[in-house]
Amino acid sequence: MLGYISKRVAQMALLFVVFLTLLFLLLQAQPGDFASQFLDPRIPAANQELIRQRLGLDQGMWGQYWTYITNFFTGDLGTSFMRYPKTVWAVIVERIPRTMFLFTMATMLSYWMGFLSGKMLAWRRGGKLEYGITLGGVFLYTVFYPWFALMMIWLWAATLEIVPINQFLTPDFWLDSPFSATSVFTAMIWSSVLVVGGLLVVQTVAGRMKEYRTQVLLRRTGRVLVFGIFVWYWASSSMRPFAADITHHAVLPVVTLAFIAFAGVMLITRGSMLETLREDYILTARAKGVPDRIIRDKHAARNALLPVVTSFILGLAFIIGGGLVTETVFSWPGMGELLLTAVTSNDIPTAIGTLALIGALALIAHIVVDIVYLFLDPRIRVQG
Amino acid sequence: MTTTREKAGETGRVKPGESLIEVNHLTMDYKTKEGRVSAVSDVTFHLKAGDSLGLVGESGCGKTSVALTLLRLQASNAEITGGEILLGGVNLLDLSEEEMRLHRWSDISMVFQGAMNAWNPVYRIGEQIREALDLHWPVKLTHEQSRERIAELFELVGLPPEAMDRYPHEFSGGMRQRATIAMALSCNPQLIIADEPTTALDVIVQDQILKELKKVQAELGMSIIYISHDIAVIAEVTDHMGVMYAGKIVEYGGTDEIFATPRHPYAWLLLSSTPSITGPRRKLAPLVGEPPNLMKPPSGCRFHPRCPFATDQCAAEEPAMEDLGGGHLVACWNHEKVPVGLSETPKEDL
Amino acid sequence: MVQDPRPTPELAPDEAAVGIDAGTDEFDFEPLWRVRLRLAWEGFKRNWALFSENKVGIIGLIIIGIFFVMAIGHPILMATLWSDKQNIYDPEIGYDAPVKTLLVVEEVTDPETQIDPERAKLFDASLKAEVGDTVNVPQQPAPPSLAHPLGTNPRGNDVLSQLMFSTKAAFMLGLVAALVTVLLATTIGSVAAYFGGITDTLLMRLADLVLLMPLIPILIVLSGMFQVNLVILGLIIGVLNGFGGTAIILKSQALSVKVKPFVEAARVAGGTNWHIIFRHIIPNVLPLSFLYMMFTVTEAIALEATLSFFGLLNVDMSWGLMIQIAQSEGYLLRFDTWWLIVPPGLAVTFLAAAFFLVGRAMDEVVNPRLRAR
Repeated sequence: MLGYISKRVAQMALLFVVFLTLLFLLLQAQPGDFASQFLDPRIPAANQELIRQRLGLDQGMWGQYWTYITNFFTGDLGTSFMRYPKTVWAVIVERIPRTMFLFTMATMLSYWMGFLSGKMLAWRRGGKLEYGITLGGVFLYTVFYPWFALMMIWLWAATLEIVPINQFLTPDFWLDSPFSATSVFTAMIWSSVLVVGGLLVVQTVAGRMKEYRTQVLLRRTGRVLVFGIFVWYWASSSMRPFAADITHHAVLPVVTLAFIAFAGVMLITRGSMLETLREDYILTARAKGVPDRIIRDKHAARNALLPVVTSFILGLAFIIGGGLVTETVFSWPGMGELLLTAVTSNDIPTAIGTLALIGALALIAHIVVDIVYLFLDPRIRVQG
Repeated sequence: MTTTREKAGETGRVKPGESLIEVNHLTMDYKTKEGRVSAVSDVTFHLKAGDSLGLVGESGCGKTSVALTLLRLQASNAEITGGEILLGGVNLLDLSEEEMRLHRWSDISMVFQGAMNAWNPVYRIGEQIREALDLHWPVKLTHEQSRERIAELFELVGLPPEAMDRYPHEFSGGMRQRATIAMALSCNPQLIIADEPTTALDVIVQDQILKELKKVQAELGMSIIYISHDIAVIAEVTDHMGVMYAGKIVEYGGTDEIFATPRHPYAWLLLSSTPSITGPRRKLAPLVGEPPNLMKPPSGCRFHPRCPFATDQCAAEEPAMEDLGGGHLVACWNHEKVPVGLSETPKEDL
Repeated sequence: MVQDPRPTPELAPDEAAVGIDAGTDEFDFEPLWRVRLRLAWEGFKRNWALFSENKVGIIGLIIIGIFFVMAIGHPILMATLWSDKQNIYDPEIGYDAPVKTLLVVEEVTDPETQIDPERAKLFDASLKAEVGDTVNVPQQPAPPSLAHPLGTNPRGNDVLSQLMFSTKAAFMLGLVAALVTVLLATTIGSVAAYFGGITDTLLMRLADLVLLMPLIPILIVLSGMFQVNLVILGLIIGVLNGFGGTAIILKSQALSVKVKPFVEAARVAGGTNWHIIFRHIIPNVLPLSFLYMMFTVTEAIALEATLSFFGLLNVDMSWGLMIQIAQSEGYLLRFDTWWLIVPPGLAVTFLAAAFFLVGRAMDEVVNPRLRAR
């Protein structure tokens, strides 16, 4: 099992280097080199040459390539043009948690909702409701996403005024805050990660128990405990109002992005569940006199989950792209928004750096899914 | 503690030699977009406790439909239009879905065709058997007790007890089939339906599995209904047999008797087309043609288009079951014409 | 001895005839191309019957039909109904500002002091009027009217004309992207499946990489660094799709074709590798390819609209650009001017959904497992 994981990690690392290489080639494919693009032609040729040397542009392609790769892995992504003299890394680092937050929250929400509703749809096959929901799902799946986001803002923020319009936080409120937005946000992310981790530990430990009743008991108390600690921590923390402000701003972008990803998950779950329900082992379970609800949740859904998890890898690019659009439409200052501003203001180092990190994010998510899959499918678990 | 059985209205164990299951005039159609498919029509058979019965026929003749209907697991587009299934006197077709659920596995269990897919790939073999025990064992078993019970069952079917902690994909085809039998036995059912129990296996394993089943049946005194297209399997393990064709039982009687003197042309051809290792060398008679499309079954006797002895009467009227004595029943107008003994060289140039 | 009363099976006459008596003129031989055509037609009829069982696919086809009418309707309208009003209805430079009559209620000198943005827009220094007068001011954007069924945008362009004009671009882009995808993915998938080994590994690892990389950020960077127009965008989407996920799916299909007996037969008959790939494997992978063409079109339409929405594409007019114009003129979050945002948004959604629906219906034809019993 560990062997399998380390093999996947190594593969991903290799893929990432290939990706970086492609980005490098992309830079090289630009007409002219950096210097000729940005240097004032009136600068004397000798000085231009000096600048080229400084920038390493005289090194030839392989030399430049080597510098590029080594710099990347030492965290040196160059200097941002638009935020000069901040480094690209410094600009990005501030944005990473925000993007990760949006991405993970929306992903988890959409997979949870999508799986549940897809399961129900397949179970109650036929009928007008299923038809309607499927068509609605197709609409959500193919809807022009920026437009959908605008409509969501219009409905929830402009018309019903339940959530604030755009932005990451309310600036006035934070004026004399003792905390920086990033530190509050980091605390929020860590506590969420710990909750998820805690739940996983509870699930695993409970699964090892022999008696079914002990399992249930342990699972319930464990969940209550984990959530209890989470609530207690935030209730006693002085960061609470600030965290609440960020959460208030985060609701709409997260829900909107989740909606979009949700439809795809629902449609895939429905298909996969329909196929699973035709399997022989479902007939076996029925013959065993297993109640319908248990057949659905224990026998069918568990197997239907496998293709859904696999589909996550295919949907990953979709969600990341959607996340980028979300950030832009909602003015959520994450990596996607950074990428777009960098591109429109011709800040190539920042754009390429952000793109590389978005790629890294995709790869990490992929590895996480691989590991989740490992736990779900015994057929792979044993081989590895 | 009320057990599931008490709640269901216990049918009670049927004593050996008494009638366990009686299927009378069972008729079932499948509703499809193109029309109704008459999959099972007027099927009648009785089985005493401790006996074994074989149903044989080409694929698509309704054997599996009958089997699934006994457990009320027929496909959702199936409609039972007549008949009754009495289990120890209780008509299963009258029960509510919930009552029926409690009879499943505790009274009637099943060994499925192609055990490959009969196991849920994500749960351990032992867990899947334990699920049946949890649902149907008269008292609630502790973890250790159910493991003990599974080990017992594994021993009975010739599997090492530690195999229960493995996943289905770690089993070979033969092992999986043994485990399937163990699961079928788990709740001491009165009747086991074995649907093509050995079809997917190689011949040697096939033989072992059949012997195992026979041994277990003798030890535990349960009844088994074997369903197979392979007449050799039926010959080996059953006391009585029914030959099915196009959704009907066309010949019914003691296995030995039917093998010695098949009276229905279809049974005769089916036997003639099967080589015998012990008998004299002979040319095999081919069974030409395809089973009919049950959307529009042939008029009269459903076999007449393929029957070498067909007369005009066969196309016009449907033959009723006729008792030839000694419980040997046949539905054929011309059963006297069917030669005694198997066909030898039916045609010189074949 | 029992005589078998059954008749001796004989070859049916037409079965016996094929190719045996080729020398005589007794049989009217069908030319090969006609046989193929007939078979193709029969196959089409069979598949159409399956396809049309699915209402969803028909809905998709109808929507595509409507958009198709819009696409060819635009040049026709420009040539007929709008021919003498080119300067009004041209999607890019057409200008028309319906006149609105307003009552002057208050005198202000500096438009910045106005609270109501709508009124601020109407401020025009050249307008000379006293309080109590009525003035005629050009109104942009104008709500739907008879002359402009979908109103005009802030620049005075007719929204309906823009909407119809952009349809052609959407179809063109979809076609380019889909064709490139299918061409690449079918070839790559078949080659990888047929040759296996190192070719397969290299192509599939590459596919993994492409599949994993988020398309939208890459396209954003590309369109920032280079001038990207519709055809180039179609090519990029096609190449990325063709090397990525679609290639993987088509490869697995090609693998299942590769083991079919006719491939073996072709090899035994001395067919070269390329002959087998192009004559036997690719034709059998094509149905699935067409399916993925549909999904590619869906994707391409959505991507184009998104990039245009960000103002990154070099296009004359497109649905995304229409929303971008509304945004850059400050009408994005003002829903009283819904005709600027709702029609193009719905157009993108519906056309993309239509191709997706057709794809799903085709999926049920191609993959029998998905059919409802």
